[in-house]
Amino acid sequence: MKAHALVTAAILSGSTLAAQTIQNPTLRRAQQAFDNLDYRQALSGGHAALRERLTGFERARAYELLGFTYSGMDSILKAVDAFKQVVLLEPERTLDANRTSPKALSAFQVALTQVLVVRQLLVDSVTFVGGQGVVPLRYTVTQPARVVTRVVGGSTSLRVDSTVATGQVNIRWPARLPNGDPVPPGNYTVVVDATVGQNSFSTSQPIRVSHGTVDTLAHLTSLPGYTYLPETEVPPKSWRPMGLALVYTGVALAGTSALSNGDLGSASMREGGTIGAGIVLAGFIMTLKKPAPQPARGNILYNQLLRDQITRRNAEIAQENTRRRQQVALTVAPVPRAGGSR
Amino acid sequence: MKALWGGCLLLLVLPVGLAAQHVAIGPQVVFGDYREVSSDLHYRGAGIGAKATLEWKKFSADIALSKVKYKPTGDGTATAEFDASEVDIRLRYYISGPVSGELGFVNRKADPEFEAQSVGAITAGAQMAYLLGPGVRMALRGGLMFGAKYSGGGTTSGLGALQLGLGLTVDALHGRVRVTGDYGFQRFSRKTDDGSGPLPAPIQQSLSRVGFAIAF
Repeated sequence: MKAHALVTAAILSGSTLAAQTIQNPTLRRAQQAFDNLDYRQALSGGHAALRERLTGFERARAYELLGFTYSGMDSILKAVDAFKQVVLLEPERTLDANRTSPKALSAFQVALTQVLVVRQLLVDSVTFVGGQGVVPLRYTVTQPARVVTRVVGGSTSLRVDSTVATGQVNIRWPARLPNGDPVPPGNYTVVVDATVGQNSFSTSQPIRVSHGTVDTLAHLTSLPGYTYLPETEVPPKSWRPMGLALVYTGVALAGTSALSNGDLGSASMREGGTIGAGIVLAGFIMTLKKPAPQPARGNILYNQLLRDQITRRNAEIAQENTRRRQQVALTVAPVPRAGGSR
Repeated sequence: MKALWGGCLLLLVLPVGLAAQHVAIGPQVVFGDYREVSSDLHYRGAGIGAKATLEWKKFSADIALSKVKYKPTGDGTATAEFDASEVDIRLRYYISGPVSGELGFVNRKADPEFEAQSVGAITAGAQMAYLLGPGVRMALRGGLMFGAKYSGGGTTSGLGALQLGLGLTVDALHGRVRVTGDYGFQRFSRKTDDGSGPLPAPIQQSLSRVGFAIAF
């Protein structure tokens, strides 16, 4: 019962869509019979509808109805055959694994491996500098086949890739002409041809290539994380001037006393003391006074290095900008398509 | 006296010729202490002076002139005062760090001639200078005086004549004016011999100069 419920849900989702587009009354009756779990009536209705004049969409829905019905009746081989027709008619068709019975899902997967189709051809929208990027392309091949990928547009036909592959294939297209130039702007079509023996399948995806200018780099006024340092610094207050003044004065007075001739009496300290006092006073004032800013040699060298580095970097940026003005920014974007083709 | 006038002339002429160099010249007030032979001949006095400083590359020169009227002190036996006119010339060459080498000449004349000894000598020594702060410099100097000649005769041994000095210079008015202060101590271990053997007749002077100088 659970399987029936899932199949019904899957069909219902399809029915909702089909109710909008399915016009054939026979097919609608067959689908109604399936919804009522009247598989015999659904089968006969489905076959009868296929004998009538149907649109491609209706024909795919008819085969899908048969696939689900045969799956529900455990006729897996017939279900696979029906799903093969669905895949051939609508290569991009996928079933929701959460809303489809496992039997139908496995039959659909088996059908996929028995027909050669290229599904899910996707071109990512991308922008890059010509010659420095690629356009990612990917598709899925259901059988091992020789797959040739081309980009066609106007008089241009570029072979992008040729390989024997199965499953998902990823390709990187540099969007360049054989001479290395970026492809001219315009509308192109990515065409994927798969061939196995007599069987072949082809699908395509329109894309639009446009050109733009490459952004130039702004010149630097500073290096991130690096700031200029002050080129002068105030040394910390020091008692050195006072100390040295005392030492010099002391040496002078002591020297006077020591060198003085003993026969002449004690040396006069009046003269030396006067000048010494002046020096000690000057030393004391200089000690209290805020020291004058001194050139910070390390900071000066650091700033010079920083300026040199910025100048060098700006020269490189100027060269890079000159090069960028000669480059082109390629934008590749997929254009919505109608669908695949045989 | 001729030397003093010659020095004055030099002070006036040199700044003109070396205007492109660093030159400073200015007056000073001088006061000193003079002793001779024994503690009984003790004089103190004051006077005027002038000082010029020249700087050129690693060379510099100080030319100091002074005239001091020495008067006997109360603690001595001297009775007559005298004038001491001194010329002190020092040529200096910067060596390294704070150290400079000095070579110079000192001449002091006493007037009246027989009240004190006139003396002349060649000086050699060194100076250590230090920048106390912006525009404030001090210097300590010392050296020997060779070949001393005295008006009253006498001799001095090679290490018998010594001098010591201390100086301060403070820049003012953006370096256009300098306040100067200098201290100089001289000691001559003079010996005389009147036929009875050598007798000590030392001479000692402490001199301070305070003034200002205009810098060019």
